[in-house]
Amino acid sequence: MPDADAFRADVRGWLSANLTGEFAPLVGSGGPGREHEFVQERMAWERRLGADSWIGLAWPESDGGRGLPWRHQVIFHEEYARAGAPARVGHIGEQLLGPTLLMFGTAEQRARFLPGILAGTQLWCQGYSEPGAGSDLAAVSTRARLDGDQWHLDGQKVWTSLAQFADWCFVLARTDPAAERHHGLSYLLVPMRQPGIEIRPIVQLTGTSEFNEVFFDDARAAAADIVGAPGDGWRVAMGTLAVERGVSTFGQQMGFQREFEAVLATARANGAIDDPDLSARIVEAWVGLQVMRYTAMATLGRPAADSPGTADVARTVANVNKLLWAPWHQRLGELAVDVAGAAATIAGPGYDLDHGQRLFLYTRADTIYGGSNEIQRNIVAERGLGLPRDPR
Amino acid sequence: MEFADSAEQSDLRSAVRAFVRRHATPDQVRAAMAGPTGYDPKIWERLATELGLAALAVPERFGGAGAGPGEVAVPVEEFGRVLLPSPYLSSAVAALVLAGAAAECPDAAGRYLPGLADGSVTGALVLGADVTADGGTADDRTVTGTGRNVVDGAAAGLLLVQAGAELFAVAASDAAVEPLETLDQTRRQAAIQFDRARAMPAGSAAPAIALYRVLLAAECAAAAEQCLGVTVDYLKTRRQFGRPIGSFQALRHRAADLAVAVSSAKATARAAVWTAATNTAADNTRASNTASAESADLSVLAPLAALHCSRTFLQVAGEMIQLHGGIGFTWEHEAHMYFKRAKSTQLLLGPASALRAEIGGAAGLLPA
Repeated sequence: MPDADAFRADVRGWLSANLTGEFAPLVGSGGPGREHEFVQERMAWERRLGADSWIGLAWPESDGGRGLPWRHQVIFHEEYARAGAPARVGHIGEQLLGPTLLMFGTAEQRARFLPGILAGTQLWCQGYSEPGAGSDLAAVSTRARLDGDQWHLDGQKVWTSLAQFADWCFVLARTDPAAERHHGLSYLLVPMRQPGIEIRPIVQLTGTSEFNEVFFDDARAAAADIVGAPGDGWRVAMGTLAVERGVSTFGQQMGFQREFEAVLATARANGAIDDPDLSARIVEAWVGLQVMRYTAMATLGRPAADSPGTADVARTVANVNKLLWAPWHQRLGELAVDVAGAAATIAGPGYDLDHGQRLFLYTRADTIYGGSNEIQRNIVAERGLGLPRDPR
Repeated sequence: MEFADSAEQSDLRSAVRAFVRRHATPDQVRAAMAGPTGYDPKIWERLATELGLAALAVPERFGGAGAGPGEVAVPVEEFGRVLLPSPYLSSAVAALVLAGAAAECPDAAGRYLPGLADGSVTGALVLGADVTADGGTADDRTVTGTGRNVVDGAAAGLLLVQAGAELFAVAASDAAVEPLETLDQTRRQAAIQFDRARAMPAGSAAPAIALYRVLLAAECAAAAEQCLGVTVDYLKTRRQFGRPIGSFQALRHRAADLAVAVSSAKATARAAVWTAATNTAADNTRASNTASAESADLSVLAPLAALHCSRTFLQVAGEMIQLHGGIGFTWEHEAHMYFKRAKSTQLLLGPASALRAEIGGAAGLLPA
């Protein structure tokens, strides 16, 4: 186990040695509102990360990971963001599918899929949301039918990030047509490059496309490529969310710090900092950033009281933290354009938006994706405070 | 940064909680706040002597336990939770300040710390008041002016008085003390006049202001957590339309927002207490000069925690009244006591604009 300070130096050294040459233009690229940037180069960067074992830091060594403790993972995310390294194209595989296979996958599935994620050569996307199943995820209606040695899938997924670049998709599909709600769902691993799949980009209010619609028209998956038992998909999908401890929050906050500094620099350059209202909002944004950091440090990575049915806010730390950062980020976006003033009403050629404009627009998604803030509040109220469910 | 109690702090918390259960029941709190001094001297004597809390922050050579802000925050939080009327917070800050200044101001430390340790003397802080200092040498300094909002000032024997950037120790017997009725009856104030009152130098005013803010922030966060707990219990038990009102999404979402706010206030207060504790420890070993580069700056964190925790407390206490409905508006219910403590604390800390200006300056965000 490397000492924490030595590990930090190691991460820093590797980033400064590698984020150069062909990868130098990637600094600050990708991420929300900018996932369309430098995709091929970022895929090459993912492979570089994998080659030097920077993927799967938290995974057990027996599964090819490095088995590093929480503190080291936080350090990696902090240093990664501090260096302005590009938004990862492999994070869905590393943060969502990998942990799911570690919890629920067979030895054969782990041996087959984990090495590609660790090497940065196999990209994944997530097939959960549907036009009729957003906040109400259990309303999934994409169907899969087992015929011989293959699943046949029909239906539609939506808001699928990075689907156009992904090799595989983990799909929550209804395999028992007679069952309702969260019963009769299965967690299937579906190859993306096949005739039965069509991907259509969604043009967002930013004018760019991070998200896609994915259509399944008799798409196929191997019978063995199911995680957990048939009908067990809801438990598998939720299990992954339950172990997510939000380590990436620290990297995210480092990114927020960079965004804040950009707004501050604009305010200093154009004199907006002398406006009493704007300067008050600038200080409040900074205060909010510190408060979020302390809250994340105090809550994330600590085990909750693990007695089922016991209310404990510590069981909902990821939700608490999202309820803090998403509205904060929206306010930063509003502050960014207010600081720029009327200049922010002008777009570049081809609707090319600057950083502040993009922040202003894209942050409207922050309180919607990954479970809307209303859903987050339900979870905090029920699982954190133990309040009764409302009739649904 | 450390956000959890140390083993010693955890033991201390258990002892203080046991004390609170016996001696700070809601009836006892109400009786104390209605008494002539605004607190129950018997409870004070018990917590000072039986529990030894008055001696906590006093260095061992003056008869104390030599603890720091991290330990002092424990009773501050636990008393804040139940709004126990007591001069503990003011007195503990006075002890911490005199302990920190003992090397440069041995006279004030030697005169007052033993009394603070055995609880026979309580301290109060006269900060940000209209007071000026006169006299040239340490022996003939005096202060003149008025403190209009001296928390816990009526019963205090020691007044730590800010004059400009300096702090002075003044015997209450050398000042004119007028006890006041207060909006928040659980924490009394006095108006105090100084007319060339003899004043012993007690170092710089900055540490007193910072510690006062940090401990008030810790108190606010703990009291806010208590308000949330009481309110959530009520949402689970109060029934309307045939079901617990806590099953209505309009109320559940408000409770969730309060839980988020309380989590953030607790974490921020903890960060501030930890920073104050490590700064104090660094002061005590200044010769070694090994203060960690990672430690946050108290000149930023004290006003930041004060700003965030006091407004969170006010938000939660206000929602406590609303979510209790009519019963929350009664004198009988405890909600108004928290609401009044929250607003009074916020007002005593000064306007948010001033705290923001201070934070912005100290953090290098705003032009000096």
